[in-house]
Amino acid sequence: MTSLPIATNKSVRAYAKILARDFRRPMFRALWMYAIAGIASLIGPTIIGHIVNDVTAGTLTSRGITYFALGLIAASLINTASTFLARRRSYVLGESVFARLREDFMARVLELPLSVVERAGTGDLLSRTTNDVEALSRTVRFAVPEWLVAIMQALLTLGAMLLTSPMVALSALIALPLLYLSTKRYLRYAAPGYIRERISYATLFATVSETAEGGRTMDALQLGRRQRRRVENDLNEIFFSEIYTLSLRLAWFPTLETNFALAIATTVMWGGYLYLHHHVSLGAATAVALYVVQLVDPLDRIVAWLDELQIGQTALARLIGVADVKDDRITTGDQPLSEIIELSDVRYHYRPGHDVLRGVSLTITPGERLAIVGPSGAGKSTLGRLIAGIDRPSTGTLTIGGVSLEHLPLSDVRQHVALVTQEHHIFIGSLRDNLRLADTSATNEELERALAAVDAIEWVEALPEGFDTILGSTGYPLTAGQAQQLALARLVLADPHTLVLDEATALLDPRAARHLERSLNAVMQGRTVIAIAHRLHTAHDADRVCVVIDGTIAELGTHDELLALGGEYAALWRSWRSESDEAE
Amino acid sequence: MPLLPFRVLPVSDPGQPDLRSPGRFLFWMARRQWRLIAGGTIFGVIWMVAQALLWAAVGTAIDRGLVHRNQHELVIWCLIILALGATQGVAGAIRHQIAVTNWMNAAFRTIQLVGRHLSNAGTGVTDEITSGDIVTTVAADAMRIGGAYDVIPRFIGAIVAWIVVAIILISSSGVLGVVVLVGVPLLASLTTPLMRPLHQSQAAQRESTGRLTAMGSDTVSGLRILRGVGGEDVFFKNYVDTSSEVKQAGIKVAGPQALLESGQVFLPAVLTVIITWAGATKVIHHDIQAGQLVAFFGYATFLTLPLRTVIEYIVASTRAIVGARKVIAILSTTPNVSDPDVPQPWPTNATRLIDPVSGVTLTLGQLTGLVTETPAQAQVIANALGRFTSESTARIDDVPLADLTVADLRHHIVVSEIEPRIFAGTLRSEVSLGSEMSDHELDGAFAVASAADIISASDDGYDMTVEERGRNFSGGQRQRLALARALATQADILILIEPTSAVDTHTEGRIATQLGDARRGRTTVVASTSPLILEKCDAVIFVNPEGEVITGTHRELARDRADYRNVVLRTDD
Repeated sequence: MTSLPIATNKSVRAYAKILARDFRRPMFRALWMYAIAGIASLIGPTIIGHIVNDVTAGTLTSRGITYFALGLIAASLINTASTFLARRRSYVLGESVFARLREDFMARVLELPLSVVERAGTGDLLSRTTNDVEALSRTVRFAVPEWLVAIMQALLTLGAMLLTSPMVALSALIALPLLYLSTKRYLRYAAPGYIRERISYATLFATVSETAEGGRTMDALQLGRRQRRRVENDLNEIFFSEIYTLSLRLAWFPTLETNFALAIATTVMWGGYLYLHHHVSLGAATAVALYVVQLVDPLDRIVAWLDELQIGQTALARLIGVADVKDDRITTGDQPLSEIIELSDVRYHYRPGHDVLRGVSLTITPGERLAIVGPSGAGKSTLGRLIAGIDRPSTGTLTIGGVSLEHLPLSDVRQHVALVTQEHHIFIGSLRDNLRLADTSATNEELERALAAVDAIEWVEALPEGFDTILGSTGYPLTAGQAQQLALARLVLADPHTLVLDEATALLDPRAARHLERSLNAVMQGRTVIAIAHRLHTAHDADRVCVVIDGTIAELGTHDELLALGGEYAALWRSWRSESDEAE
Repeated sequence: MPLLPFRVLPVSDPGQPDLRSPGRFLFWMARRQWRLIAGGTIFGVIWMVAQALLWAAVGTAIDRGLVHRNQHELVIWCLIILALGATQGVAGAIRHQIAVTNWMNAAFRTIQLVGRHLSNAGTGVTDEITSGDIVTTVAADAMRIGGAYDVIPRFIGAIVAWIVVAIILISSSGVLGVVVLVGVPLLASLTTPLMRPLHQSQAAQRESTGRLTAMGSDTVSGLRILRGVGGEDVFFKNYVDTSSEVKQAGIKVAGPQALLESGQVFLPAVLTVIITWAGATKVIHHDIQAGQLVAFFGYATFLTLPLRTVIEYIVASTRAIVGARKVIAILSTTPNVSDPDVPQPWPTNATRLIDPVSGVTLTLGQLTGLVTETPAQAQVIANALGRFTSESTARIDDVPLADLTVADLRHHIVVSEIEPRIFAGTLRSEVSLGSEMSDHELDGAFAVASAADIISASDDGYDMTVEERGRNFSGGQRQRLALARALATQADILILIEPTSAVDTHTEGRIATQLGDARRGRTTVVASTSPLILEKCDAVIFVNPEGEVITGTHRELARDRADYRNVVLRTDD
């Protein structure tokens, strides 16, 4: 398993910059509203300061109080209205940014080279599609906006303090060193802790899911006790990962809170000292003290969101890292001159030193039916994947009409050769969408023709909503045979001149398989067919049979030639056919 | 490390929950952890009240220290502010620890209950409730139930703090005290109407997000096909369309969410205006001093916290009730088969296993082929022979299977269904299933299943990782692993349905040869239509399309019966 790359911090920052640039206007529109709300929330302490000054001076009148109260009401109304607008704008912005992120990601996923998709498996990609996208959703929709707002609010409050009395405001600085140090320490350990926590939850959900889905197997093999233990072990791992992050917070929270209390006490003390020595008014000292209290909340939020931002950054790195996969195709622009497929001394290894194919040379003429037979692990499927252009030979050449397959763009390769395997997939979507992926411009008539060719038109017409019936894991259920027929209908639409069939009918019950073989025959008409044979009668019907043993071609010839040769193929054929001969 | 000692979770016995109603379930849960709730409440109260008293201290510092110009008092009251802050910090941390523990206790206990019931009742649960719903219940509803116990102590703390503030205010102004006493619950209830549209739009958003996630996973799962056949553009367009639907659903949330939040700005502001106004009036009349006015303003600001906590509690308890309802639905399902009241022992020298419904009679001690027109029919017969449904009337000699305990039955009769599920783990754990077989023993099972090539292709041997659903193996490999697993059980009676449908002819031939030897003296039933397998069977039971049961050897049946030839040899005659 090769895993997919993770983007560097540098490219994450570059990507974030692009986003910030693209969403600059809505971002400023939201921030601007937040600024108004922030300023409105600073009016309260100023008014209290004025009242206190008036009280001390003995100039406070009930008329004055009414003005102050009206001021307070106006400030609250402005604050409420601008908070509403700011919040709404920033949520809308968050949704837009998040939509852009996931769409970018999906575009990158859909451009992954086929060989990477085949080899990396879907596990890693699936967890990026679900877990990382979900983690990023919290960051983009809540953490980033809250964080920016908190920073702005803190700066505005600091500004108000400085405006009221720079001298008193100085004392608030006492909170900074401890705030910085304890937060830095916390963050060093927090992100890995929260990532471990996420993984532990994902593990539990996977265990519960497999226990539920495999209920029958669990019953049959008496695995209940074991699955129960697994669930409880997973819970135990979650518990310790929670305890880990909890202890980090427990070391951090009291420091933060005491630190804030220190700032408030110091400000009251210092402001009081300055007042007692006639450097500032009582109102100014009071207002600054109130501002320091108001500063606690945004400061708290600035540091509290940092861990979430860290997690989001990790998730983003995994999402945009998908784009760092290099395409292994080097398109030269050469066009194949014919449909002849030629393999010359082809070798292939997944791990260096372990050749799966050890020097295969073979020429396949257009229109030919070639059956590849051999024991499991002999390299049949690998050979099929090379011919279908999914992987390229480690050494040796594989050409189609004189052009190396890896020099053709993927979209061209698809027009020449297609691989059909037993793994089929019906996408969530209409029947039409499921077929049209092979030919996006296909008309209804063309779709019907393709379905008729694979003998599927009957049941398709019986579907509740015809071509618009939603299929896939959440839609109308199809049998394995029907799913395979759809896969074959896609091939008719894609119309490649060469087909590689890798055990395409293997997983079906005999009756369905027989039905499907008829569909398959229709698809094979007029094409070159390379069939990795599973049942020997396929080999019997082929023009040539290629016996692959241990990564090399052991025997090659017509069915009759190989029988006459009396080698591996002949022995196998006799053992398979003996019963049938007696029966007929 | 945590401030308080903690008990490692999950607990060894989650107990018997009260399933009569969501309320009773939640109450039952609360009783399991009443100490934690009580402890959390104590620190929740200290934490909240310390925050309220901070304002009293600030006010007093201003009055005694500044208005009365007494530097000594100023220092003392500033130290009190610091002490209150430290108290709040420490109590807050302890409160947080207890809250997390409270939450984990309830959530984990719920998950344990679901997990135990699922592992116990198996298909009895999944026949009623989809696996997706079960996962959602664990992932979301259990957490929400936990959430309620996280908020309860804070909620009580909020109420106490609110009363404390009201009492402080009453001592200087009866009217203001009453304003606070009445105002806070009134304002909290004013916010509730704002929550309904929010929750509705959030539900719609979650639903469309779920659709999009499913679509993303679906596209990734089928990526090989998309990249192989084409159609990326179509799928990308569909994804973008759904993505913008999700965006629109999210934007619909923005309005109600912003409304609720601005409401949470506005409502406390009303309180602030009233208290400040009344306070300032009192200052003119010299009823209170400037510092007290500052404290009043502070209380009004502080009351935002209890107000928000009350709202949070309302949301959390509603969600917990909804969650409890779903948990109860799962826990109320029953297993498909259960133990008899008076179990009989396994008959040791039995000779036959009989299913009266299909008419199939097995002679024990043989390798028997079972041929049906479709694998599904074989599955139905196997379900009866293994008693997977309560309707099964199968018996072993004269002992009805229903008279045996399920554990005893499953120990002696192992049924491997079509496409058996492979669980995540290592090859060793997944094939030896808890008995931790040695490499040597495993070699035997893998050799019979012709699965040795899977081991030799890996660097880790039997410690190779098996991913969820065995998805890191091909269909043929999974089938051979399942066969090795079934063989490793060494069951007296082994029923295998289509164990070789996905393997190639070479391998199938090898398996057929080795299976008979490996299971000599024990009972093995193979439901298959492969001549290579049937050829090696001692007897073949053929259930023809009309439902007749014909027993013979493969050669006899192939010679005498056209309907058998039609199914097995694919001759259309």
